[in-house]
Amino acid sequence: MLDWLTADIAGEMARGVAVTIVLTIVTSISSFLVGLTAAIARRSRRNWLRPIATAFVEIFRNVPALILIIFFAFAVPNLFPAGLRGTLFFDNPLVDLLGAITTLTLPYYALAAAVALTLNTGAHLAEVIRPGLDAVPAARIDAARSLGASARTAYFTVTIPDGLRIGFPGIINRLVHNLKNTALVSFVAVPDAYQEIQAAITETFRATELLVFAAVLYLALATVLEFGLRRIERALWRGRPIDRMVDV
Amino acid sequence: MSDQIEFLWEQLPNLLWGFPDRRPGGLLLSLLLSSGAIAVGFIFGSALALARHARRRAVRFVADRVVWAIRGVPLLVLLVLLFQFLGTGAWFGIELSAFWSAAVTLSLYAGAYLSDVMTAGIGAVPRQLVDDARLLGAGPITAARTVTLPYALRTMRPALVTQAVTVFKDSSVVVVLGVSDLTTNARIALGGDVGNTPYWVATYLLVGFLYWIVAFAVGRLAENRHGRGPQVVGAHA
Repeated sequence: MLDWLTADIAGEMARGVAVTIVLTIVTSISSFLVGLTAAIARRSRRNWLRPIATAFVEIFRNVPALILIIFFAFAVPNLFPAGLRGTLFFDNPLVDLLGAITTLTLPYYALAAAVALTLNTGAHLAEVIRPGLDAVPAARIDAARSLGASARTAYFTVTIPDGLRIGFPGIINRLVHNLKNTALVSFVAVPDAYQEIQAAITETFRATELLVFAAVLYLALATVLEFGLRRIERALWRGRPIDRMVDV
Repeated sequence: MSDQIEFLWEQLPNLLWGFPDRRPGGLLLSLLLSSGAIAVGFIFGSALALARHARRRAVRFVADRVVWAIRGVPLLVLLVLLFQFLGTGAWFGIELSAFWSAAVTLSLYAGAYLSDVMTAGIGAVPRQLVDDARLLGAGPITAARTVTLPYALRTMRPALVTQAVTVFKDSSVVVVLGVSDLTTNARIALGGDVGNTPYWVATYLLVGFLYWIVAFAVGRLAENRHGRGPQVVGAHA
């Protein structure tokens, strides 16, 4: 029944799954850092910083991820004349090094797609982290301050950790969405799981079986990611039973 | 620079309402497709949300699994998978066009996401209110229609708008079925012509701006204005 599934095709698809997983992990971490930074900047006391952070969030949250991916991967290199374009994006020691690490033939496209996903997910994460930071009870910050912590220390040891705990359910949602958005990188020639499954369909004409497999695969990855993130969430709250009762 | 503007000016009608031979298209089609999907998805999502609060455990379980399955699969995979079943005629004898297949998929997708919001909204409806309606003789469906859903709707308005905007933005993925929406028309406008490469950045900036302006404008509605929140119905009411 599965005689069309040769070792070659299975190997390529396994490689694709690995690309999807690595891309998900890398963009999850980078977009979390971007999102936290943007959330902090939007609550900053510096008057020049807030509008910049707001503009960043509103731009990258309201443009579809697919458009961002195509823009960074396919459009941006076209800003440069043909000769320079090749050197800048596809043929220089830095790109070669990236290619050697990731074993991708066109590492620039993967890098551009990762940047696009980071900006998009980062902007969305900023909007779930910011309300979390806002929801930290003032009494907790006052308590830290009256115990002698400086404003900076209180911010880093109370506001940020507690704000992330409160905002964590939203963070989980968005990171799972980000995992699904990685399938969009197949539009810009990144050999992720979806792209390799499409390649397998072209080769074997087993569209129904392979597309059902794709759905099951992403469902499994999303379920595992969500389970893992819920474990992290529980670990973050461990030993803090009172905080759960704070009205958020 | 002037040739950039000339190219964009020439393509603007194609991006806004489609190529002359395929109208409606472009942004107009994206709007039609996503608003249709949001309307159908809203009904589907409300039904799912009520089912997720059903008394019967089996009903709750099935509704939860449906939402889980739709939400766990990328829209891209969902579109192509459903087109394989609905669009090729190979299954169930159904042969929908790419457009209708995309519309069905987007409706299911919108339904799953909106149901999550509605489920939370229904969870926030005071039990007392529904029980009172039932006590006054309303059947379960009448109670849901006249009490539970309107109350949930008012509480969750901002979150519902946010999800609706998400559906609009994600509708860009229907390009995979070539449904002559905004993203598809941008690709057609640029085509495979190497002479067009200088226009890629400008075109995608314009397309991004068109998506942005709609998403941003509609997103403003999500902000809770004063006096528009749910009315508090206490025991005295």
